[in-house]
Amino acid sequence: MFCSRKKSLEVERIVKANDREYNEKFLYKDNRIHTSKYSILTFLPINLFEQFQRVANAYFLFLLILQLIPEISSLTWFTTIVPLVLVVTMTAVKDATDDYFRHKSDNQVNNRQSEVLIDSKLQNEKWMNVKVGDIIKLENNQFVAADLLLLSSSEPHGLCYIETAELDGETNLKVRHALSVTSELGADISRLAKFDGIVVCEAPNNKLDKFTGVLSWNGSKHSLNNEKIILRGCVLRNTSWCFGMVIFAGPDTKLMQNSGKTKFKRTSIDRLMNTLIFGFLICLGTILAIGNSIWENQVGDQFRTFLFSNEREKNSVFSGFLTFWSYIIILNTVVPISLYVSVEVIRLGHSYFINWDRKMYYSRKATPAEARTTTLNEELGQIEYVFSDKTGTLTQNIMTFKKCSINGRIYGEVCDDWGQKTDMTKKKETMGFSVSPQADRTFQFFDHHLMESIELGDPKVHEFLRLLALCHTVMSEENSAGELIYQVQSPDEGALVTAAKNLGFIFKSRTPETITIEELGTLVTYQLLAFLDFNNFRKRMSVIVRNPEGQIKLYSKGADTILFERLHPSNEDLLTLTSDHLSEFAGEGLRTLAIAYRDLDDKYFREWHKMLEDANTTTDERDERIAGLYEEIERDLMLLGATAVEDKLQDGVIETVTSLSLANIKIWVLTGDKQETAINIGYACNMLTDDMNDVFIIAGNTATEVREELRKAKENLFGRNRSFSNGHVVFEKKQSLELDSVVEETVTGDYALIINGHSLAYALESDVKNDLLELACMCKTVVCCRVTPLQKAQVVELVKKYRNAVTLAIGDGANDVSMIKSAHIGVGISGQEGLQAVLASDYSFAQFRYLQRLLLVHGRWSYVRMCKFLCYFFYKNFAFTLVHFWFGFFCGFSAQTVYDQWFITLFNIVYTSLPVLAMGIFDQDVSDQNSMDYPQLYKPGQLNLLFNKSEFFICMAHGVYTSLALFFIPYGAFHNMAGEDGRHTADYQSFAVTTATSLVIVVSVQIALDTSYWTVINHVFIWGSIATYFSILFTMHSNDIFGIFPNQFPFVGNARHSLTQKCIWLVILLTTVASVMPVVAFRFLKVDLFPTLSDQIRQWQKAQKKARPLRTRKPQTRRSSSRRSGYAFAHQEGYGELITSGKNMRAKNPPPMSGLEKTLYNSTSWIENLCKKTTDTVSSFSQDKTVKL
Amino acid sequence: MKRKCQDYKSRLPDNTAMKQQQLPAFRLQLSANEILSGFFAIGLFCLGMGIILLLSAKSIREVEINYTEKCATCAKLREDATNFDKECNCSISFYLPQKMEGNVYLYYKLYGFYQNLYRYILSRSNIQLVGTDVKDVRNCAPFKTSDNGLPIAPCGAIANSMFNDTIVLLYNFNSSTHIRVPMVRTETAWWTDKYVKFQNPTFQNLSSAFAGTAKPPNWPKPVYELDEKDPGNNGFVNDDFIVWMRTAAFPNFKKLYRRLHRIGNFTEGLPAGSYSFIINYNFPVGRFQGQKAVVLSTLTWSGGSSLFLALAYLVTGAVTLLASFSMMAVHLKLKERKTFFLQ
Repeated sequence: MFCSRKKSLEVERIVKANDREYNEKFLYKDNRIHTSKYSILTFLPINLFEQFQRVANAYFLFLLILQLIPEISSLTWFTTIVPLVLVVTMTAVKDATDDYFRHKSDNQVNNRQSEVLIDSKLQNEKWMNVKVGDIIKLENNQFVAADLLLLSSSEPHGLCYIETAELDGETNLKVRHALSVTSELGADISRLAKFDGIVVCEAPNNKLDKFTGVLSWNGSKHSLNNEKIILRGCVLRNTSWCFGMVIFAGPDTKLMQNSGKTKFKRTSIDRLMNTLIFGFLICLGTILAIGNSIWENQVGDQFRTFLFSNEREKNSVFSGFLTFWSYIIILNTVVPISLYVSVEVIRLGHSYFINWDRKMYYSRKATPAEARTTTLNEELGQIEYVFSDKTGTLTQNIMTFKKCSINGRIYGEVCDDWGQKTDMTKKKETMGFSVSPQADRTFQFFDHHLMESIELGDPKVHEFLRLLALCHTVMSEENSAGELIYQVQSPDEGALVTAAKNLGFIFKSRTPETITIEELGTLVTYQLLAFLDFNNFRKRMSVIVRNPEGQIKLYSKGADTILFERLHPSNEDLLTLTSDHLSEFAGEGLRTLAIAYRDLDDKYFREWHKMLEDANTTTDERDERIAGLYEEIERDLMLLGATAVEDKLQDGVIETVTSLSLANIKIWVLTGDKQETAINIGYACNMLTDDMNDVFIIAGNTATEVREELRKAKENLFGRNRSFSNGHVVFEKKQSLELDSVVEETVTGDYALIINGHSLAYALESDVKNDLLELACMCKTVVCCRVTPLQKAQVVELVKKYRNAVTLAIGDGANDVSMIKSAHIGVGISGQEGLQAVLASDYSFAQFRYLQRLLLVHGRWSYVRMCKFLCYFFYKNFAFTLVHFWFGFFCGFSAQTVYDQWFITLFNIVYTSLPVLAMGIFDQDVSDQNSMDYPQLYKPGQLNLLFNKSEFFICMAHGVYTSLALFFIPYGAFHNMAGEDGRHTADYQSFAVTTATSLVIVVSVQIALDTSYWTVINHVFIWGSIATYFSILFTMHSNDIFGIFPNQFPFVGNARHSLTQKCIWLVILLTTVASVMPVVAFRFLKVDLFPTLSDQIRQWQKAQKKARPLRTRKPQTRRSSSRRSGYAFAHQEGYGELITSGKNMRAKNPPPMSGLEKTLYNSTSWIENLCKKTTDTVSSFSQDKTVKL
Repeated sequence: MKRKCQDYKSRLPDNTAMKQQQLPAFRLQLSANEILSGFFAIGLFCLGMGIILLLSAKSIREVEINYTEKCATCAKLREDATNFDKECNCSISFYLPQKMEGNVYLYYKLYGFYQNLYRYILSRSNIQLVGTDVKDVRNCAPFKTSDNGLPIAPCGAIANSMFNDTIVLLYNFNSSTHIRVPMVRTETAWWTDKYVKFQNPTFQNLSSAFAGTAKPPNWPKPVYELDEKDPGNNGFVNDDFIVWMRTAAFPNFKKLYRRLHRIGNFTEGLPAGSYSFIINYNFPVGRFQGQKAVVLSTLTWSGGSSLFLALAYLVTGAVTLLASFSMMAVHLKLKERKTFFLQ
């Protein structure tokens, strides 16, 4: 209690290192995490309390209590308690197992070991015992236990590398570095133990990229920012150890703060049922209660003196009140518990079908699809928005060097014997790279022409590969096996350097001043003279090197649009040729870079370099001057060619996206990646096309900018539309009335919206939120880039809240967890390394393409089945229950049931449950192949056409009509009835048997008509149900059972007497005909007059069955795309500086190195020099960087 | 490694028709022809059945005489419960224009008597009635015990309110000769009721079997004196009692009272002529504004008069036929323009 109050008050956090007593004053949370809900003791009360919070359970509990009151009870208590206990127990068991697994995973996490500095000694301690203020030691590849302030690390300058994939999904390494004052502590335990700095910082929050605080130590204050913090969930990479001080622990960590609360996900059908049914029940109950009051007043009074002479007078109003409750009990069979049970069983069945589906089994990773939540299946058939992560979901997160164009010639395309281009990946054999001993086995690039050119020594080709090996920010490292390991900041660069390596130009190592590569077997060391770093504006990077021969060369790679402007005029021919090639690459969705070089003469370079140094030392307009100088030297370039890297899409992504958009599902891509990357992927998977009328890009950095951009985009959108539809006043009016549907219809043409994280933060503010939503919903494609996990969730919430649509989020990483949790349905891509997404998800499978089958086949079937099930179930129970209502008018509203108590108990459980279950589980209106072929079949689900209020009323009307027939036909017939032997049959018990039998038959005929897919199981269940009914009926009406329980089975001999009468069968027959025929006629006319797509396909299926068994699928056509810059470094600015400063190069390498490299590294004490020189600039640079980020 | 392979294999879902949702199945998709011909067949069947039922209903002879008004003096007498011991007889004459052939059944009919009230239906003890325990009166509220604390046998509201008029039919052969029409008072109840559901407690004689119990408050005599002439028709197995205990479904109902004993003049049924009912009027209906009637009726193959059923069949048949014609019209009209669909 105190804790929670304390937490809400926490505005800033004060932490003292190595002083648990001091920190305990603040009652900060320790590092134990709880995701479980119950403990053994609290399980029963909490779970029961939760269960009875559900409307349905509470309702049945209430009914049970009512039934125990003798004045009210109109049905025996066992009709309710048996199913209720069953349901509650089942749910409790399920909750218990779920929680058990949560306990297990909590325990596993809480019991991870980490080294903590306690009493001046490093001790192994469980994660859960780590306290705020502790200093812990992390080792390479370890998960970070809590949010830490980095104190020191094995790397120089207190640098350390982390991978933040779990947090934001970015797989590239990030650099963190300690304050210089603390980095001096190194690994000195005694000094670290004496460290008693006090950190004053912000209260726990969920902002991953922001941290502000101050460290006071030794009388001086040091400001802290995000660069000094390592967050829980990160993994330490390429750093053998580091020390950190715990700032936030356990639930206060940014990772945990970012994990959205798990909410009980509930389908819209549940909600509809609750409201409609209870209102209806109360209405009927009231009518009958009023009827009872009047009857008691008019008739019952006199009657009572005759029948119940020794009772005193009763108040008729009070009697009406009691009757109300009695009827509520009787009429509760409209929504019996068996409905809830059946719904769960059906959902469970559908989940198993998902688990069992071989077409969603990914054999390469041996991962079957898995329905982790069993309660949401029908919502899969109603998805309107899909929010997809990019990396690992749409793409495989593998960059492959696919093609290149060198000096006007394309390599990487395989021509077969007929000279036709074929996809090179189809060629079976991989070509051997004899030239390169370091060749990567996984590298697949098949072009003998390129090999020939290399071997022939084509200078352009060599220069091209040399450039790839020189111009980058990759760091190399050799592992114990002697293999080169590249640490890449951007996977694109990795792909290029690896390609060069495989083609014989092996990047070996670098120092701040040199780059060593192995050119076709000979080691060459280049002097790195200048590093013209990448930034978003320049969209290119260059290096200036001096080769051993003394020539100075500028190598540059960058976006084609940028580079082409700075080419030497002599390149004109090559430029057009390369341009064509680039278009071709872009058309295939490849990410392209143009490659160029320039020979510099010594003198010119020296002048330029001097100017650069001058510029570096000036303070005013430094950046502008440097940029100007870069511009100056990066001109008159000689084009070498272009590279094409494929950000490999997962298999079938394009088909899936196309098919889903045909099904009117809108796909939004939410990614932590850069805008360029995201757009590129958008094009690659056909979400963005050149046919689009407009692509709006929102990238403003302030609230006003964003607002302005949104407004402009909207104007643009509506402006065009208004010119098409000339009724803009009408439009405005409509817009205010029913914003959603109408607006969408009025927008013609395809639009796309691209918005980045910064802008999104502003756009999600309340006043522009609606603008954003409106705009986004009218666009065919929405891409959000550079978004944080929380923003992903916010976007989902926004759509969920204001669009009232069913949303699905799909992702693979921990950064998608919050989005997965907040969407109606979360899908995790399984088979990857991280499991967080899968654990948080409702469904998981290995490949994005299975989404198509999950939604279009399983989801659609589930939805259709569930709707059919519900329609039938309500019809059945209305028909069953309302007979009591009509009977009420003839029995003085005395709450007498029409049927035997046993029949009421068994009707929903035994007599009619299985056929409708079989339909709910197995029914298929159209085959799965057709569901995939005609994605339009999915639309009724989105509009919720199959079960909504009006459908419900139709079911109800159907049920009411049937109940009328069921009651009034026997009523009329019984009016003056006598049996064949003259003995009367117009007694209550015969009436009960007649109505019950008619009901069972009518309802069975109806299910037979509703079932469109008659499997063996359906046959068994339907015929079996009728047979069961009669056998149970005769058993219960037999002499023997009456002999044993005379009070429980008073219907002895009834079935025998009634069901041998011809007239009873005539009544049953007539009732059946009268109840079923109108429905058949109605449906016939409906299908005939207004056939739905599904009806048409079914008719067509039937007609085609004889003709040909299967239709072949239309092959997907490959889109043709005009050229666009596929430029996409997944790249951060600033690495160039890091490299030239040498800060990220280690002084001593833990793994053994080859002699050459050792000498290279050890020969210089450059690092010391550089340290002194660059400390100031680097720290300023990193602060800059945070501001920009 | 091998185990791993097996592991992988086991994760691959089985390729069974059930799991892959490929069970062989019949796709129910009724075509227009099937539906229309079904409609025609059913329509014709219903129409035919309606006509047959109508004809047979017409063949039934039935006489119903409401004697609530006709026995007004008796009715008035019964209004006052204190007069329960005063006898009151009432004679009603009627003329039968046509003879009633075959078996003739005599029913009494009550209007406005709610035998289907929830608490009324419950108010009986099947354990008592089956003879196992005469003193079991558990469910019989409010007629469990008499004023002096003895359990009532038969207990409960149903038994207490038993119809106790006696009806005798006289055949007025001529103005002076009145022949009492022979009637059978047994075999009016169901076999199972008489031999399974209702049993007298096993004792030497009935009166000792019911010792220690009280008669229902409204009854003039104890249960073992219901039929003084036929000891086999006494106690709980008395046919009249059993018939009454089989509660009616609706407030207006008729119950079988007697069957014509086809002997002498009545071998072929009731001849045409003048008759009169002599009714010993005991059952008060005035208090709840109910009515009483006697019914004489013959039967047909389907039992009693089923005019309603006949008409209902006729209407259903006609409507079905009408519907099938209009559906056919709609279908044929649409057929011409139904060439669209499926790209």
